Amino acid sequence: MAEGQTNFFRRQWKQDGVLALTARLILGAVFIYASLDKIAHPEAFAKDVYNYQILPDALISLTAMGLPWLELVIGIFLLIGLFREGSVSIVTLLLIVFFGAMVFNLARGLDIHCGCFHTSAQGTDGAPMAWYVFRDGLFLIPALYLFYRTFHRENGFRGSGFKVGGREAKQHQIPGN
Amino acid sequence: MKTEPMAGKIWRAAWQSVAMVVLAFAIGLLANESRSDRLALVADWSPAARLSTDTGDSMVVSLDEAKRLCLDEKAVFLDARSPEDFARGHIQCAKNVPWQGFETYMDRVWGVIPEDAWIVTYCDGETCSLSEDLAKELDSMGYKKVKVLLNGWTRWVEAGLPVERGDEGRRIAGKDTDGSSS
Repeated sequence: MAEGQTNFFRRQWKQDGVLALTARLILGAVFIYASLDKIAHPEAFAKDVYNYQILPDALISLTAMGLPWLELVIGIFLLIGLFREGSVSIVTLLLIVFFGAMVFNLARGLDIHCGCFHTSAQGTDGAPMAWYVFRDGLFLIPALYLFYRTFHRENGFRGSGFKVGGREAKQHQIPGN
Repeated sequence: MKTEPMAGKIWRAAWQSVAMVVLAFAIGLLANESRSDRLALVADWSPAARLSTDTGDSMVVSLDEAKRLCLDEKAVFLDARSPEDFARGHIQCAKNVPWQGFETYMDRVWGVIPEDAWIVTYCDGETCSLSEDLAKELDSMGYKKVKVLLNGWTRWVEAGLPVERGDEGRRIAGKDTDGSSS
C-alpha cells in the first residue's frame, strides 16, 4: 500500500512533463496564496465582491465565505495532483469568470479594487483595472494549457495516475451506468 | 486501449468539481460560524447599509448637508486619500489624514479635533473604502459625530464646490481640479 502510494506520486512528478508540472505548481501556489488574505478577512472580501456590482445581494455573503476556500482547495489539489480533471476545470472556469468580471467592469468604467490577492489594498493605490485584467490573462495561459492537456489530447496526461490497473476500469464503468 | 473515452474525463471533471465546490463551501460556512465577526448569510453590502453606527444611525452624509457643513465651517473634513492625491486637489475645508499609514497621521486628529466636533471623511470613487475605514476608526476612538461623504471628491468637484490644491503645509485656493494638473 505504502509502496503503491509512493509510486503514484513518483509517477505524477515524472510523467506530467515539465510544462504541465510547472503550470500546475504555479497555479496551485497562486490560488493558495490568493485565498489566504480573503479567508482571514471575509468582511473586506464581501465588500470587494459587492463592489464588482455583478452578483445579486443575496449571493454576496455566501460567495465571500466560500470562494476563498474553493481557491484554497483547488490550489491544494493542483499542487498534489489529485482530482485533476475537476481541479483543472474549476481553475480555468474561475480564471475566465474573474477575467470576464474585470473586463466587464473595465468596459463600463468602474475602476474598483480588484480584491484578487489582498483585501486591504485600496482603490487609490494606483494599479488600474487594466493591469489586473492583464495579470489574470497571464494566469489563464497555464490554466488553458493544463485544460488542453487534460481534455483535448487523446492520451490526456501521459500515464496519468488514474490509468493504473483496476482503477482505470472502475472509473470507466461509472459513465456507463 | 491507449486512449481514454472523453466521456469518462468529463464525468470525472463533473463529480470532482461538485465535490470540491461542496467541500469548499461547507468549510467556508463552518469557518464563518466559528468566527466572532461572522457574516450574515444574506446581508446588504451597500455602503449606506454597512455604514451605520451601533445605535443604528447612518453615517452617510448627503452632498447638500456636507456642503453646508463646509461652507458654514461647522465640520472638519478629513481627506482619507494619499498625500499625493490630496496635494493635487481636495475639498477646501479638508485636512489630509491618509487612511493608509493612519498611525503616523493620527496626531492630526487626536488632541487636535475635539471629540464632540462634526467630522466628515471622504475619498474618491464609488467603491473607495478609505473614508469608511477612517470613519469607523474615529468612531471607535470616541468621535461620535463622524459622517462619510461617499465618492466625496468626485461629487464635490462635479457640483463645482470650492477646492484647494497643495499639501498640508502649502495650500493654493482655486477651482483647478483633477486632470488638468499633471
